[in-house]
Amino acid sequence: MPVDHHDRSGDDLLQQVVDELRQPVRLDATVDATALERIRRMGPPADSRWRFRLVAGLAAAALAAGLLLAVFLPPREALSGLSTARAVRLRLVAPASSRVVVVGDFNNWDPGATPLRSTGRQGVWTVELRLKPGRYHYTYLVDGREWVRDPAEPPAPESDFGAPTSVLTVS
Amino acid sequence: MRRCRWLVLPILLAFSPALLQAQDRRLSDRLDPATASSVQQLVDSARAAGLPTEPLVQKALEGSTMGASGDRIRAAVAGLFSQLGRAREALGNSASEAELTAGAGALRAGLPPASLAELHRLRYHQSLAVPIAVLADLVAEGMPREQATREVFELAREGRPDDEFVALRRRVQNQKRGEPGTTEPLQRPAAAPAADPPSAAR
Repeated sequence: MPVDHHDRSGDDLLQQVVDELRQPVRLDATVDATALERIRRMGPPADSRWRFRLVAGLAAAALAAGLLLAVFLPPREALSGLSTARAVRLRLVAPASSRVVVVGDFNNWDPGATPLRSTGRQGVWTVELRLKPGRYHYTYLVDGREWVRDPAEPPAPESDFGAPTSVLTVS
Repeated sequence: MRRCRWLVLPILLAFSPALLQAQDRRLSDRLDPATASSVQQLVDSARAAGLPTEPLVQKALEGSTMGASGDRIRAAVAGLFSQLGRAREALGNSASEAELTAGAGALRAGLPPASLAELHRLRYHQSLAVPIAVLADLVAEGMPREQATREVFELAREGRPDDEFVALRRRVQNQKRGEPGTTEPLQRPAAAPAADPPSAAR
């Protein structure tokens, strides 16, 4: 069987290359130390720093959200009260009036918060509120100058500020 | 050190509730600084004592809306604070905010603390807010104190529900006006009688 000389010389060459590649690379002894020092100076990789910032930012946002909820969310008692709030219709007969509002414990005594609506019949003014069970002091302000207590409810036992008020109990 | 700056925001936020609750915005918005500050002190004292604070704030706002002087507002809030404390002495430490508020109103109406304590004893396992409120309302409507106390105590002794106290009050109110008695729910106030409109509104 004939021998292929070309194949044999090719195998030898390949073997020489492999042997050469298997030889350990000799480097200067200071190369490792220099490389490590440079890596140390670079600090953590950029993506690591951003990961830290992202985690810190998310933690801060979560903490802020929790604190804001704790501060501004109504207490549980108030929330449960909302679910049991009752409809209350207030009604006042004030024929010669052009504006009637109600102020009380339920609206921070804010004259701009709860105006009554004229029904157009015999000077009747009315408004519907939703109140949770409780006891409320309130009064009407007629035409921006006269305090008129609700004759449909008991008078408040005291008048700390000189104006008559009524007491409404929602059960 | 650079990393520390990321901790500043959470730390500030951690202290923000204390800063935000330092003073009730409603007080600082509606009262002069001196009055707002002294009312806030009373509110803080009430909170520290475990008493309801919202009635105190509302009393101050009432005074503001009615144009009362700072001294008068302070006096009214201090008076209510004192009554809330007396109501708790009569009703016990377990009294709810609603019970204490109603109790303060009853004391204001001239009922003795002993009446509240007795009601507490008669209706130990049930809420006292409505019976106390009805008792105060009956007195405010002009019923003699002894009679009002007797009628409310009777219902409490029999273990009647809140609705029956409310019905009692409505009945007395209607009788006073010469109207037939009804059991109209208290939360739907009767119409102002057309024959007796408020004088200021005529």
